[in-house]
Amino acid sequence: MRSRILRDIRARNAVAENELVRQAYRYITRNESISARTRHQAQLALNALPKQSSPVFIKNRCLETGRARGVIRDFRLYRFQFRLKALNGELPGVKKASW
Amino acid sequence: MAATAVPSATLQRLAQLSCKLFNNLYNPTNARTGNKVLRGRLLGPALTSYYPQKLLHFRDVKAAYPNLGLVDLEEKERLDEIARRKRRGKGTPKKGMFLVTGGRVSWGV
Repeated sequence: MRSRILRDIRARNAVAENELVRQAYRYITRNESISARTRHQAQLALNALPKQSSPVFIKNRCLETGRARGVIRDFRLYRFQFRLKALNGELPGVKKASW
Repeated sequence: MAATAVPSATLQRLAQLSCKLFNNLYNPTNARTGNKVLRGRLLGPALTSYYPQKLLHFRDVKAAYPNLGLVDLEEKERLDEIARRKRRGKGTPKKGMFLVTGGRVSWGV
């Protein structure tokens, strides 16, 4: 699972690196005042960007285990790790509900 | 109650003036300009800071002081464990020791 985290870090860096170029191409493709040919070329250039640099490639993962499902965004942990840490008192301000 | 008809040219001028005053783009035909793409902020910094990274790695310290002979205890422990397992005959198998046919693993030659 550690490798999945590393892969996600790589993807995040790729997105950050290519973000400006991607925004520029996206602007061109969506601007109707630009010639159809240019817009089409911009769309092709968008498609040719590395797949990893697309923002949809990114997935929030659990910091402890790298699990991608059931991750609680505020704590960046998946539900079971969240429970373990909360019961262990490692998450400030979190306590078990009781009434 | 007779509503006084306002000529459309006047309304258009009004819209134009309003856009000029409030620094908006005058776009009477509602043509798509793509400005929506540029309006948002860049996500890169927020995305790359999701995983907390160690500010200082052991290998950096080791590289900074090569003549101190520093040893990464965690890494040494890992390698020792592998050596121990190997001595007990529990190491990773050599390549080609098993035959994999159609997803089933069997003894090789």
